[in-house]
Amino acid sequence: MKPNRRVTPYLFLVPAMAVFGFAVLFPVVMTFAYSFTEWNGYGTMQFVGLDNYIEAANDVLFRDSFLHVVLYIAATILLEVAVGLVLAGLVSVKRRGSLWFRVAIFTPVMLPMVVVAVLWAFVYNNDFGLLNAALVNFGLEDLQRVWLGDPATALLAVSVVSGWVYAGFYMTIFYAAFSQVPTEVIEAARLDGAGEWQLFRRIKVPMIRNAITVSLLLCITGGFQGFDLFYVMTNGGPYGATEIPTTYLVKSVFTFGNVGYGSAMAMVLTAVVVALGLVFARVNREKPEKVNA
Amino acid sequence: MSTRTAQRLTVGRIPGLLFTLALVVIAVVFFFPMLWMVFSSFKSNSAIFSTPFALPTEIDFGRWAEAWEVGHIGQYALNSAIVTGASVFGILLLGAAAAFAFSRYRFRGRNLLMGLLALGLLLPLQSYFIAQSTLFTQLAITDTRWALIIPYTAMGLPLAVYLLKVYLDAVPDELFEAARIDGAGDLRVFGSIALPLLRPGLATVAIFSALSSWNEFLLALLYIQDDALKTIPTGLLAFSSRYVTDYGLLFSALSIVTLPMIIIYIVFNKQIVDGITAGSVK
Amino acid sequence: MTDRRKVTTGAVAALSATALILTGCSAGGGSSDDNVLRVAMGSPGEAQIRVWDDVAAQFEAANPDVTVEMNYQNDDLYQTIGLPNLLNGRNAPDIYFEWAGARLEQRAADGFAADLTEAVTTGPIAGLFDDEVFSSLTVDDAVVMVPHAADVTNVLWYNEDIFAENGLTPPTTWDELLATCDALDAEGIIPIASGNKDLWAAGNWLAHLTSRVVGEDVYSSALSGETDFDTPEWVEAFGYVKELADHNCVNESANAVDDNEGAQLFFQGKAAMHAIGSWLVSWAIDEAPGLNFDYVNLPSMPGKGNQDSVIGVVTGYVVNAKSSNQDLAAEFLALLNSDENVQAFIGAELTPMALSASDGEEVDSRSAKLLDMLETAPAIVLPPDNGYDLETANALYAALAEVLGGQSSPEDAVAGIDNKLS
Repeated sequence: MKPNRRVTPYLFLVPAMAVFGFAVLFPVVMTFAYSFTEWNGYGTMQFVGLDNYIEAANDVLFRDSFLHVVLYIAATILLEVAVGLVLAGLVSVKRRGSLWFRVAIFTPVMLPMVVVAVLWAFVYNNDFGLLNAALVNFGLEDLQRVWLGDPATALLAVSVVSGWVYAGFYMTIFYAAFSQVPTEVIEAARLDGAGEWQLFRRIKVPMIRNAITVSLLLCITGGFQGFDLFYVMTNGGPYGATEIPTTYLVKSVFTFGNVGYGSAMAMVLTAVVVALGLVFARVNREKPEKVNA
Repeated sequence: MSTRTAQRLTVGRIPGLLFTLALVVIAVVFFFPMLWMVFSSFKSNSAIFSTPFALPTEIDFGRWAEAWEVGHIGQYALNSAIVTGASVFGILLLGAAAAFAFSRYRFRGRNLLMGLLALGLLLPLQSYFIAQSTLFTQLAITDTRWALIIPYTAMGLPLAVYLLKVYLDAVPDELFEAARIDGAGDLRVFGSIALPLLRPGLATVAIFSALSSWNEFLLALLYIQDDALKTIPTGLLAFSSRYVTDYGLLFSALSIVTLPMIIIYIVFNKQIVDGITAGSVK
Repeated sequence: MTDRRKVTTGAVAALSATALILTGCSAGGGSSDDNVLRVAMGSPGEAQIRVWDDVAAQFEAANPDVTVEMNYQNDDLYQTIGLPNLLNGRNAPDIYFEWAGARLEQRAADGFAADLTEAVTTGPIAGLFDDEVFSSLTVDDAVVMVPHAADVTNVLWYNEDIFAENGLTPPTTWDELLATCDALDAEGIIPIASGNKDLWAAGNWLAHLTSRVVGEDVYSSALSGETDFDTPEWVEAFGYVKELADHNCVNESANAVDDNEGAQLFFQGKAAMHAIGSWLVSWAIDEAPGLNFDYVNLPSMPGKGNQDSVIGVVTGYVVNAKSSNQDLAAEFLALLNSDENVQAFIGAELTPMALSASDGEEVDSRSAKLLDMLETAPAIVLPPDNGYDLETANALYAALAEVLGGQSSPEDAVAGIDNKLS
């Protein structure tokens, strides 16, 4: 048994590590390698040193794409995390009969983003879309616009869709966290005369800080990786107003065949996401909390 | 009991009604786009254009049947089921085995390997999909179901291993030792003790892995060009560009894809919520 | 106990299966099935898909041991990543759709275009086409493409009923076009529908317009990367695009909706004109059977180009040089252009280039006129995205969209193209 035992853990690990190494780790290393080359994906490959990174640093469109995604993330923090928190607060006040409510709010999370995107492209449609029609019905014709065709509104319009999907997701996380807040704490605060709002602000929210931190991390790193909604609804338009790093690099690599340059942009994006993840991991470790989602 | 009395005191009767009303309004606003989608699926193009809010004049599921038929929705759903099923199976089996190794053995390279997997929790898709796509093209994996099953499995593994390891770490050593003393081999211990104990953890992992595989879009877009192999997200996109100008048909297809997900959610809502909350707290 | 054993054996079986699959996958690539003929193209629309499926069935009936696999991709996807991925992937197509021009040359240079010279001179395809058409489909003395149709990629379609109701006649000059826009806009009718989300729809049209202003030579040299866009003549050309925007000539949603939605505005009678290619005729069969519409070529512009130029491209099918079924593929392309199938395609509103097409009687008059217009055109302008480098084309399209949407001045827009391409 003994000599055998030394090999055993590796045998258990081999399949998982093989698949993970083959489909993730090895490609990460290769993408990093590509980022120092000029290559169209099938012809000859040329080593160009740091040229791609220098190009990326000077590429106005790439810089803009980061600006767009940061704005998008800021909007989604409000529309997803903050709205989710408020919704969870509402639901947790009145638990009975809230299931149907949670179903209604959560359902969009279940849908493929492509389905959501196609549906909302219709909601925003200028000619027969739900939104403009609703504005007419409420006598708000002046607010009508080409939501996805106006660079002033397109990014916000996409963010709202993201909010529609994920508000229910964060609500669910916060709802679970709220239900773990000890009832004695809440009871005690009530006896002190705290109203529901005060209870929410001063007791419940502080007590689920960990869940909120995690949600913010998810929202931010998820936002940097966004693609589906943008690709289907605007494909970076109008006039590049919704071009985010991923749509830009997908175009660069798969439409124009700039594999090297696209890889460099991918590496920049990766560095940002990993760095954020590590910062949050540290913050979370420094402030241990009892209540978690 | 006391909680409820307190609630009555603070919320009161009339505000309580208002409160419920507010929740109803919010729910309706959230749900309305989906209702509109289902209504529109029963309408003609001109009705969609001229009376977007009106209820359909007749409920004719013939449109749905037509969308199912001409839109190859059945084929896409089957492909999604195969890809998702295989990926989830792979994630569970490979993930449980790896978690078992990490949890129950001390061995050389353990920290390094765990660190690599933990890195997988942080790495965005963008860090590997470019080279993955050239690799898959060179190995001629693209345009087979493996082109999705392999990356979906790989992407699901880090979180699965992490969560399952937490479950296994909580199991007292004595349970395993007792089995060993009875003469059980490592594989037996894994199969007959670890796996059954992991069942709740496996269910959680299965749920969020299934949802993310079912809904994945970017890799499916890049790796599958053959219509017969497309999954629901890319298949639906193909459908929407093939029959774009028949909006009723397109809304039918969207509805067909959406309704089962709503039903699944209503039936398994507790498991799904547990799975998703556990899955998100990585 | 049996339960446990099942779990254990199941686990072992699954683990070894995984190992097998992983190695199997990496070893088994490349070889494609000899009895399958794969044909890939962007979706040609329902009416033509029916004909294609029928051609495939005919071929299978004549060759019982062969299966024909048709792959109709999303148009935009096919043009960008779809085809290169297919060609480099497993189960690469034996026959694929391509546009004549820079793209075809690239395919030949990459080794994906088989030499069809023999097939079209003495082989199964001999005699089906006028020999002259092959001159533009020849790379390095080898015929590499069998033509199928010629697309006029842009004309100005107009709704005859709306024009009659408003006492309008189809515009033939620039000033007439602007006057028509003003008249329709005043009536609350969208003058010209465009669905330009993917940038090529209005891009094609406006590129043609600019070619009339700057002249075909300047157009071609700028798109080939030989000359700059930031020149007074390009600024002047873009100035006309700005006039279109100033006169509300296109729908406000132009840059937000795709080409299909743009067409829908025209089909629904919300727009009086639609600037798009010859394929609109076949779309209209299914989408708007009762619509009365006709077309005029782009109005003449004040400028250096030939004012009767036509923007268009020959499209056809290439046999993959890496295919092991090249002879079968040539036979399939011959069958595709047989008299009977040519008539079927005419019924689906495509006007094939095969000689027998002119024998038919049922050619839609509009389609026939379009083909005639292309054949007798004094100058042919190649669409930027088919005839030239895609990245350059895209930069031009993006700039045109900005001016059309009132986002950039002509000066900034042309300067932006050079910046983007440098």
